[in-house]
Amino acid sequence: MELYVRNLFLMSVLLYVLGAAASALIYFFRKPDKTGMTGSFLVNAFCIVASGLGGAAAVAKILFAVNPLELINLSSAIPFISLEMNLDNLSAFFVLALSVLVFSVSIYSIGYLSHYNGKRNIGLFNLLYTMFILAMIGVLTSANTVCFYIFWEAMSLFSYFLVVFEAEKEENTKAGTVYIVMTHIATALLLIGFVIIYSYTKSFALNANTMAIPGIVKNIVFVLFLIGFGTKAGVIPLHIWLPHAHPAAPSNVSALMSGIMIKTAIYGLVRFVLCYLGIQNTWWGIVILILGVLSAVLGVAYALMEHNIKRLLAFHSVENIGIILIGLGVSFIAFAQHHQIVGGLALTAALLHTFNHTLFKGGLFLGAGAIQYAAHTKNIEDLGGLIKTMPLTALFVLCFSLAISAIVPFNGFVSEWLTYQSLFANILPEHIGLNFLAVLAVAALALTGALAAACFVKLFGISFLGLPRSEQAAKAQDVPATMTLGMGILAALCLGIGLFPLTMIKLLDKVVFSVGGGSIYGQLQGGFMLAYYPLTISVNSISPLAFILALGAIILLALIVIRIVGGKYIERRYGTWDCGFEALNSRMQYSATGFSKPIKIVFRALFRPVRKTIVEGDSMYHPESIMYSTTVTSIFEDYLYEPLYRALLRFSKRTKFRVQTGSIHNYLLYIFALVLLLMLYNRFA
Amino acid sequence: MSNLAVNSNLLETLSVLILLSSFVLMANKRINSYIKTFRIQSFLIALAAGIMGLRSLMSEGRWDFLVVCLLIMILKVLYIPNMLNKTYKNVSYKVEKDFILNIPILVLLCCGLVVFSYFTLSGVDGISQDVLNMQLVNSVSVIWIGLLFMISRKKAIGQIIGFLVIENGLYITAMYSTQGMPFIVDLGIFIDLLTFVLIMGVMTFRINEKFDSIDTDQLNNLKG
Repeated sequence: MELYVRNLFLMSVLLYVLGAAASALIYFFRKPDKTGMTGSFLVNAFCIVASGLGGAAAVAKILFAVNPLELINLSSAIPFISLEMNLDNLSAFFVLALSVLVFSVSIYSIGYLSHYNGKRNIGLFNLLYTMFILAMIGVLTSANTVCFYIFWEAMSLFSYFLVVFEAEKEENTKAGTVYIVMTHIATALLLIGFVIIYSYTKSFALNANTMAIPGIVKNIVFVLFLIGFGTKAGVIPLHIWLPHAHPAAPSNVSALMSGIMIKTAIYGLVRFVLCYLGIQNTWWGIVILILGVLSAVLGVAYALMEHNIKRLLAFHSVENIGIILIGLGVSFIAFAQHHQIVGGLALTAALLHTFNHTLFKGGLFLGAGAIQYAAHTKNIEDLGGLIKTMPLTALFVLCFSLAISAIVPFNGFVSEWLTYQSLFANILPEHIGLNFLAVLAVAALALTGALAAACFVKLFGISFLGLPRSEQAAKAQDVPATMTLGMGILAALCLGIGLFPLTMIKLLDKVVFSVGGGSIYGQLQGGFMLAYYPLTISVNSISPLAFILALGAIILLALIVIRIVGGKYIERRYGTWDCGFEALNSRMQYSATGFSKPIKIVFRALFRPVRKTIVEGDSMYHPESIMYSTTVTSIFEDYLYEPLYRALLRFSKRTKFRVQTGSIHNYLLYIFALVLLLMLYNRFA
Repeated sequence: MSNLAVNSNLLETLSVLILLSSFVLMANKRINSYIKTFRIQSFLIALAAGIMGLRSLMSEGRWDFLVVCLLIMILKVLYIPNMLNKTYKNVSYKVEKDFILNIPILVLLCCGLVVFSYFTLSGVDGISQDVLNMQLVNSVSVIWIGLLFMISRKKAIGQIIGFLVIENGLYITAMYSTQGMPFIVDLGIFIDLLTFVLIMGVMTFRINEKFDSIDTDQLNNLKG
């Protein structure tokens, strides 16, 4: 069995490599128009098959193989540089998430890329796309830190090139710069962490024994990893690259970046902190929990203020990473105190939410891409009425919106429910201060859910319902079938996992068990697909399937009762909300700005809104035109990064000519002093 | 046996003389005397290589060290100084103060460097046996003095000579501590050196053409 899984996985990697090679060929020997699209179809077909195989291999690994599989082991003559790739349960789970997403995104891309046809080199795009996927597979399966580091950097670079793929727009290159700077600082911190660990363990292998590391050093390494991975994940206040980079990238790439690339940071935290370092202190979990709560609440709050679909979704990624981190934080707290069951439950919740977020956020970005493809705008205020021209897209986006707002019967509900349960389960008599935090986290999570639902009412209502608000939206055409299919697969999965959550939890249980958590699957009650809840908290149970059946029954019953009581219907057809005016136009509709205004006022302290009204005309009582614009201050950029950036710039400007004098003697003197110091160091070391 | 003792005494003396020659170099004021001192230093190194070569020829029958000695003679004693002289003649028409600190202070600094290298090297494992240690200290001091020479001189030729002295120092450090490197390594070093001198000769000439001076202080104007 092991051999089959290994071969299956290697075959999938080989197919990705073939895809990359094919797109490289197309890139170098391209002919415009025809060949571009055929080639693109070919490469995407490669990716579809490869991700199918990879996903199958990952599932098979989790279900049937117990020990980690050694996939590739190429050692080189250079010390420490050897390509080692292993597939254990944790890696396999993330590879599964990656494969599912790549599968549907690649189907989607076949149609989506057609708008680049003749304008851009699709070969280049596909080359970067496949290399990006390969790099992520490398990150997820690396068995030593050197490999991990190399693949991590490759992943960042390929995604950078994809972010700046439409480089002629200035905002895209700026977004790319912010992204690459943030990600490089983060990676540098990771590298420092790896080297510190190496200096104690004398090994780069990921299964090395880290007992030799003293406690204080472990704390330092934890902080380095937290900042390093936190930046990639988009944790507040390190999130600033996310709302820039996601809108800049083409939509299928944003789906991958938001769907799985930021999750590699979650993988990194679990892999390096939980499995590699081992949880040492309770405060590690507490810090992660607090960061999670902050990111969840602030992420959704900023999302509400956004009218650019993709920026809005990017802020929702911050929010969902926050929810994942809440689960992760609880599990770290529980593991530090040796509550393996609670830890297992919380980790299951976090990983399940990771997987769910991959599905619905990937889907939402694909939906945003479809809207952009059809209506050529990302601004919600210019959309409207799209449900009539693109009904299937509207349906799928509605599914994703319900899922991300954690509404029964979709998958988002399941993982948030588990997160709540783990937070409740973590309230124990021996934690005094922690209980307080857990209760606060529950409240924050509830607030987050409500605000997210409000935000998606805005997104869906403004862009799909009502009348078109612009020329482009009115002329929108439905998207190609492949794009719809790509979204449909993800929507079906969202619903499937929501209705039959135990299928996923069974897989996850093995993953969590393999990283040291208690197995919770045995403690779930209520049969295969109905209820699920841990025994330890016996009063809490819920079954989405039963829930939805009951809901259906109630609605049916209500209809019947109305029919019986109310008698026959009288049907009239006329414009809704018209009231006899008969000249309704799109300017009379509710706008996105109007929708989010109450929340803006409630959270005034956070948003610090600035509004500007310009009245033109002979008097303010008889205006000819009124210009109204409102903006929200982004606290972190204005009060944290901007001063930091300015200080750095000032410092560099001032010291530039002091250090870099241009005099050859000065440079020689630097060398001289350095070598002297090194000799002295050697003498005393 | 006595023959060997004489040999090592000779090598010891030569090592001290090489160090002394770099002190002399530091005390030189004029560019043409730099070149002369460099020639003398290279000649001393060639002698040391020759003595080692004779010894290895007699004891092991290896002749390659003698070839190295010959190469040093040709390259460092004859070709490079001649070439530097030629470059100097092409560009020299101004005599001005060439050094940044004055000579007595520089010589005192050199003394400090010798003490420093004695101090730093005495702690290194494996080279603390008395004979090797002093030779090594002398050779490493030559490297330091070469670097200091580069810093203290303004003209490009001063930098070239300083670099060559560093190279000499490295070479004798290697020679004294290994008692003869593999021939191919020696050849590689010489070819490197030759290329360096050729390039720097041309560069100096060009700098002079461009700036009407080979004063490297003027390179400051290039900074952005």
